Amino acid sequence: MHDFRVLELEDALGGTARGGELPRSRHPLGAHYLPRPEPRFHALERLLEDLGVIIGRDPAGRAEYAPSTIVAASVERHQLDRIWYAGISPEHGATPAEQAEAERWYAHLRALDREGPDGRRQFTLPSWRASAALRELDAISMRDYLQRLGVTSWRLRWEIDYACRDDYGCTLEQTSAYAALHHFLARGYDEDRPRPLLAWPDGNAELTRRMAARLGYIAAAPVDPHARVRTRAAVVSIDPDRGALRAVLRGEDPEDPGELVELSARAILWAAPRFVLPYVLTARGRDPLAGHRGPAMSYSPWLVASVELLDRPGGIGSPLAWDNVPVQRDNLGYVVATHGEDRSDTRPGAVVTYYEPLTAETPAVATRRAELLAGDLSRWSDHVVRQLAAMHPGIERQVTRVSVTRWGHAMIRPVPGLLFGDALARARAPIGVVRPCATDVTGLALFEQAFYSGVEAAEEALARLGRGAASMIP
Amino acid sequence: MPAPTKSDHARARLLLFSVLIVATCGLIYELITATMASYLLGDSVTQFSLVIGVYLSAMGLGSWLSKYVTRRLHDRFIDVQLVIAVVGGCSAAAMFFGYGHLSSVRPLLFSILVVVGTMVGLEIPLLMRIMKDGQQLKDLVARVLAFDYIGSLLASLLFPLLLLPYLGLVRASFLFGTLNAGVALACARVFQGQLARPRLLLARALLVFVALASLLILGDRLERFAENDLYEDPVLISQKSAYQRLTITRFGEDMRLYINGNLQFSSVDEHRYHESLIHPAVADFGAPRRVLVLGGGDGLAARELLKHASIERVDLVDLDPAMTTLFREHTLLTPLSGGSLSDPRLTVHNADAMRWVEEHRARGGDPYDVIVIDLPDPNNLSLGKLYSRTFYRLVAGALAPGGTAVIQATSPYLAPRSYWCVVNTLEDAGLNPRPYHAHVPSFGDWGFVLASVDRRPPPRRVPEGVALRFLTDEVLASLFVFPADQERLDVEVNLLNNQILVHYYEEDFDAISPLRRRNG
Ligand SMILES: Cc1cc2nc3c(=O)[nH]c(=O)nc-3n(C[C@H](O)[C@H](O)[C@H](O)COP(=O)(O)OP(=O)(O)OC[C@H]3O[C@@H](n4cnc5c(N)ncnc54)[C@H](O)[C@@H]3O)c2cc1C
Repeated sequence: MHDFRVLELEDALGGTARGGELPRSRHPLGAHYLPRPEPRFHALERLLEDLGVIIGRDPAGRAEYAPSTIVAASVERHQLDRIWYAGISPEHGATPAEQAEAERWYAHLRALDREGPDGRRQFTLPSWRASAALRELDAISMRDYLQRLGVTSWRLRWEIDYACRDDYGCTLEQTSAYAALHHFLARGYDEDRPRPLLAWPDGNAELTRRMAARLGYIAAAPVDPHARVRTRAAVVSIDPDRGALRAVLRGEDPEDPGELVELSARAILWAAPRFVLPYVLTARGRDPLAGHRGPAMSYSPWLVASVELLDRPGGIGSPLAWDNVPVQRDNLGYVVATHGEDRSDTRPGAVVTYYEPLTAETPAVATRRAELLAGDLSRWSDHVVRQLAAMHPGIERQVTRVSVTRWGHAMIRPVPGLLFGDALARARAPIGVVRPCATDVTGLALFEQAFYSGVEAAEEALARLGRGAASMIP
Repeated sequence: MPAPTKSDHARARLLLFSVLIVATCGLIYELITATMASYLLGDSVTQFSLVIGVYLSAMGLGSWLSKYVTRRLHDRFIDVQLVIAVVGGCSAAAMFFGYGHLSSVRPLLFSILVVVGTMVGLEIPLLMRIMKDGQQLKDLVARVLAFDYIGSLLASLLFPLLLLPYLGLVRASFLFGTLNAGVALACARVFQGQLARPRLLLARALLVFVALASLLILGDRLERFAENDLYEDPVLISQKSAYQRLTITRFGEDMRLYINGNLQFSSVDEHRYHESLIHPAVADFGAPRRVLVLGGGDGLAARELLKHASIERVDLVDLDPAMTTLFREHTLLTPLSGGSLSDPRLTVHNADAMRWVEEHRARGGDPYDVIVIDLPDPNNLSLGKLYSRTFYRLVAGALAPGGTAVIQATSPYLAPRSYWCVVNTLEDAGLNPRPYHAHVPSFGDWGFVLASVDRRPPPRRVPEGVALRFLTDEVLASLFVFPADQERLDVEVNLLNNQILVHYYEEDFDAISPLRRRNG
């Protein structure tokens, strides 16, 4: 398949998986890691093979990853009452009752890690290929589910809440029980070995860069109107029945009003956020979501900031890790972009990327978004430095640069009822030749979900063009 | 009560000034001792709190003892100053020296601490009693304590900001000893009238002052001397590179290399280590042509390799250009490596081993018949990576068909869990490990592993035609035998993202003695 175009609104490819650069290091603007896939995720392994992340197979047939892509120890640490501890579970000072509760929780997870009566796994990737057995868990919130289980330990609740905020930008009150459990089980329950994580200095931007390179895209090259991958290309209208698409193509000059071009396509994959689609459809009434009642698709706002430091952050207790998380705070802490540097790099300093989802109940989340997007950047960079200083007193004197990114609609919120409800089914449904397939229509903002959604939409398009083949998705 | 005269004022000022100096010095000695303790004994939190606790209680003891000093207060005051000057001033040098010579420095360290603490504790009450004439108690206490605390503040600022970075511990303690002695000297002069034996005291103070001042001036050399002591033998070369501190010592025929204070080889028995590292692997492969050495920047492993006529190419990857340059160019060192680093068959690459092999593979570089992995012990996370399953997979991928890797794998005797962890990790990476060990007197029982993709028995014959001092066919066979008390242990595999080996290593060696490590 060669006759296709990729049109991207922004100056750079990657969307929420874009990267930035400070003098000391590259850094992520959004997505920063990918859990190493299970061997059963063939299609994903295939992608990583194509992208040179998997460099071979061992005699047992297991994928071998380029060592520099694996996050090396120390992977994570958490801060509890000023002291850092290894790992992500705040176990220090736990009472025997709390320990017993944690054991019960892990046993519960282990018990859920199996196939349903329909022979499909109860949790898997992509989420829509899982067994239907536990779908009713999507109707209730994780808070209610934990209440039902009798989980009262603040440690466990914090850890689960952290997982929800980290993956989805929602607290456990706002996340459906199924979605929360999906975090722990979609890739299989990790019995004792921690699952390796794949990461790069600028996070998943490395993956998008390699994908674009395979399509012949060179970021620094001058604009080629006939290029297959075109940035600065805003899709402004789509006639879903005729496959007529109009886009405004801009040049490098920011003042350039751009040129309106028309393309015709036999299939269109809408990989942009779903809420934009109605604005470009020539017939808004064709949008199946238009008449929908019930839980609507909502998005969490995120504040992300990369901070350049003169010195690597320290702290009392466990040494600096890749991911550094304060317990019982609104923010998720920071990830170290310079973590993967090897022994031959003796430059001082570090770049760390700070993450904070702005959580709220459904209607109020819009207020938080407005709050995030209003006001000047310096207010937010001060906020970030203050939060870092709460973890590392005095760190403000080490800060040389702060680069703030505000994501108004960062992640789809898997609130109760969304994942297996009517809204997503309608959101995904084809409209004429248009097939929405970005990560938001899967209900979970994850690389893997976006990948499978794209593969599925592409397979459908190929089938429509009479070039269908066996699906890569089990 | 007679009105205070001008010279009374001057004396009072001198006394207050000495309070300041005494307080500053006291805290400086405490900080020096605590820093030394955490350098030499590790675990800074424990060392700092122990030192502070012992010091403060010694001060309490001193204050309490002061009530037994009833006569000749001025003489005693000056004596106390001199004791602090000598003990405190020499404390850092003594601890360095003691570290090299004593089986444990702890008793020395705490004796110094108790003496200095007690004397400082004695000093302030004595001073107050000397000064009490002509002042109200409330003024006296206010002044003395104010100066005392200002002195502490001064010390706590000076120590981290100026003394430690610019002078180092040894010279900083001499400097403060000299200051103490200076105050004693000034007091001896000013209070001549009140002293029982003014001349004797003056002479003593002068002697201490001059002695400490000369030590301060010689401090630079003394630091070298102290380092010498740490290294047992005279230091020949000491060089700080971007990555590490390289020190070479020589005593008679014995030349030793230390990286960051940890022994890497002794020229007396390094042949045992390097013959055991190289020739079993060469014998195992047969007649290798292409060899990769990871680590081994001293060129000694390469020297053994280049004895084999079959070898056409050696790629040596060592992180530190300072190391490879030193051993290639220094006339005292090239005889040790037999000039291997300038051999036309050998190419040096200064890079991180993991990154280099990863890039070699990405480049589609040719595989190697033998890969020698001779890296510093896994005592930190960045070295631990080079013992991970991921790394060994990379290594396996860089081996030619039938190729052999050999890994230095810490000591199966001193660090058994670490050693067997390396063996298990190799196996988990799909290699067949054949563990063996050799006795290298300066290290103890040292462990290696031969690894190959296919399963083979250990080599039985040493290669022919190379001059060997340690290995014979009989010795070679014996290396693969482990006694009953050194059985294989069931330990975990070292993964890049858990690095369990680094924990094993820490625990294994902490269980023996932190000084026996051989790391980088
Ligand atoms: C802060 C943050 C952290 C994250 N962390 C992780 C992580 O660690 N791991 C992980 O797996 N996932 C993470 N995610 C989610 C992950 O980034 C996405 O799931 C994944 O990148 C797929 O996104 P997407 O391409 O479907 O959508 P997007 O990234 O939203 O991309 C949509 C693209 O459409 C473009 N576009 C919009 N309108 C138009 C138009 N009219 N014409 C042309 N183009 C248009 C946009 O510019 C954008 O580039 C994170 C997301 C955020 C926001």
